[in-house]
Amino acid sequence: MNSNLAERFAELPDLLSGHVLLSVAALFVGMAISLPLGIFAAPRRHLANTVLNIASVIQTIPGLALLALMVPLLGGTIGYAPAFMALMLYSILPILRNTIVGLQGVDRGVIEAARGLGLTDRERLWQVELPLALPVIVAGLRTATVWVVGAATLATPVGAPSLGNYIFAGLQTRNWLSVIFGCLFAAGLAIVLDQLIRLMEVAARERQKGLAIRVGGALMIVLMAATLPRFIELPANAPAPVLAEGEAPTRLRAEEGALQGARVRIGAKAFSEQYILADLIETVLENEGAEVERRDNLGSTIVFDALRTNEIDISIDYTGTIWATIMNRPEPIDRYAMFAEMSGWLYEQHGIVTLGRLGFENAYGFAMRADRAAELDARALGDLAVHARDLQVGGDAEVFTRSEWISTRDAYGLGAMSTRAMDATFMYDAVRDGQVDLITAYTTDGRIAAYDLVVLNDPLGVLPPYDAVILLSPEAVARAGLADALAPLVGAIDSTDMREANRLVDLERQTPAQAAGWLLNEIGLDE
Amino acid sequence: MADPATPILELRSVAKTYAGGVEAVRGVDLSLAPGELLALTGESGCGKTTVLKMINRLEQASGGSIVFEGRDISGIDPVHLRRQIGWVMQGDGLFPHFTVRENIAILPKLLGWDPARCELRVREMMKLVQLDVDEFGERYPQALSGGQRQRVGFARALAGNPGLVLMDEAFSALDPITRDTLQQDFKRLQGELGFSAVMVTHDMAEALIMADRIAVMRDGEIIQQGTPRELLQAPSEAYVSQLLETPRRQIRAIAELDA
Repeated sequence: MNSNLAERFAELPDLLSGHVLLSVAALFVGMAISLPLGIFAAPRRHLANTVLNIASVIQTIPGLALLALMVPLLGGTIGYAPAFMALMLYSILPILRNTIVGLQGVDRGVIEAARGLGLTDRERLWQVELPLALPVIVAGLRTATVWVVGAATLATPVGAPSLGNYIFAGLQTRNWLSVIFGCLFAAGLAIVLDQLIRLMEVAARERQKGLAIRVGGALMIVLMAATLPRFIELPANAPAPVLAEGEAPTRLRAEEGALQGARVRIGAKAFSEQYILADLIETVLENEGAEVERRDNLGSTIVFDALRTNEIDISIDYTGTIWATIMNRPEPIDRYAMFAEMSGWLYEQHGIVTLGRLGFENAYGFAMRADRAAELDARALGDLAVHARDLQVGGDAEVFTRSEWISTRDAYGLGAMSTRAMDATFMYDAVRDGQVDLITAYTTDGRIAAYDLVVLNDPLGVLPPYDAVILLSPEAVARAGLADALAPLVGAIDSTDMREANRLVDLERQTPAQAAGWLLNEIGLDE
Repeated sequence: MADPATPILELRSVAKTYAGGVEAVRGVDLSLAPGELLALTGESGCGKTTVLKMINRLEQASGGSIVFEGRDISGIDPVHLRRQIGWVMQGDGLFPHFTVRENIAILPKLLGWDPARCELRVREMMKLVQLDVDEFGERYPQALSGGQRQRVGFARALAGNPGLVLMDEAFSALDPITRDTLQQDFKRLQGELGFSAVMVTHDMAEALIMADRIAVMRDGEIIQQGTPRELLQAPSEAYVSQLLETPRRQIRAIAELDA
């Protein structure tokens, strides 16, 4: 088997079980709330309209936004809790709406017959109204199931492992096989659950006990098979993973490690550099005997919230990012002053310790194709002002809302330029292919050199520094040996090395772990 | 069954005023002897169905009193009351998700009869309404003709062995031949089982043919009650004559053609 495919399959038990547990729990609780609510509201017109309106409002919030909003609403908790809450809320509308519509649609003559015969309200509900509304209610449940299983892929950025990990990580590392893999499994899961629910309804309607038992059994088997890896420990004598070429050998000198038995959680944002550095830190800590847990693909502010609330122990962030989006400081200052002020602020406000700078900077830089720059005679940002009306700049989802774009635009007279936000993965190809004229590139990206792009000078020093820093959560600071184990990384990785490691992943299609191995070797830490 | 001298059902000055002040029924006095069939007739909206529904408390009377088997119904739990009174409605009101057998057995089951007794009752009732158990027992209502469905409706209403049966336009949705057959069958059932019945119909001919006594309603009030013969011979006012004129004219027209 293709090694890429083999690796995707290796991740499957963990991600599929996470996905199934999350979706099924959300659907189950969503149903437990919306069914009784629908039954109670259906005969009360005003109440029915009110609850349906509220549920519709929740439904109109885009899935990703609802998930992300749950993190601050739950006090910075990441992982299952916010994902579960959001998906549960998401499942309410279809079930609630169909319960109300189904019950209100039961023929009035049949209801009057039931009353006239002397059925109590409860008997009428259970023996007449619910059975007759069942097909409509089940249709709502099926809609909810398909929505929730699909939306559960969005749980990845809030730190709940799901099939979305394949999609988000694949998108960032341009591993399309991984994206397709995640989509296929999510779609397959939705179809299987949808059809099993449909068969359950057929069994109920036609009162086929045999079919009901078989379908119930199939549902149990699917759920158990999918979630089993969550509940059983893998055998201790599992064969050691075969190292891919260039991957760092993991030394098992656990007995002498300073972090013997400690559990350490590393958070990472959703791009290649973060995966590589998380893999690198993982190796360093495992060499000291620590057990490492990963929380990959977290949203940019979610990773900070998680660190602040001790949901994760370690993250890699960038001075300019903390300065602008966490500290809300509009004007950049000198590199060293910024680092000092940021470190002090993080500690005083949140108890977060800045262990130090890794050595490289991953700043925003305005990059364009070398031939296009020559054509416009552009070496510095100011040279673009005369052409601004005819130029389009591409950038990641957040850059155009950040103060550095606004100050750069104003400082160099680029206000007439049109902007186009896109996923960061695509912007390098977009500028190479001439779909945009320049991009807000990340200066450590390997594609700048590979695509023959030039980064325009910033003579006025408007763009803030983005030094990569290692941050420790308030609780992690107190862990004996943790800071010591990471200390050798401070100042160890320069921009050239980081750019090359990124290039290995983004262009050479190596895994982040392989690139981390190369980087460890390069900085001489693999002994 | 009660002493023939005491009425099984008595309505005294019964009135129904809806929220908003609409007076649907005013000062209705009625009395029903055991085994008697009373027809409530009149045009649509005259209040006859409202009177019927007040008897089993599907509607609450807003004035007067209704006494069933010697007790004022306002003191009887509505569910308990309805289980003692058979209910046959317009169309048929059968439960579409229940088989014929289950539709008929619903009241015996609610009354807590054991399954063997329920099954015995279903067979007995289906025989009475002339439906073959083996052929029709497991069918769903949508697989029956209109007449067959109405027969099941009768069987369901009678399964709890009620002393009183209420019928709301029970025959009006049927074709003329089926209607005629079922009307006769109903009279035969009533003769065999001895229950009393109040039927609401807008069809004067049906009332004349079936009922022991007829009460004619107009604008929420009873304007005349009596046996069919009394009505035909001495209509109390022009409106009653007008209602009687329709069947008479039809009979004359047919007789002329037949001559």
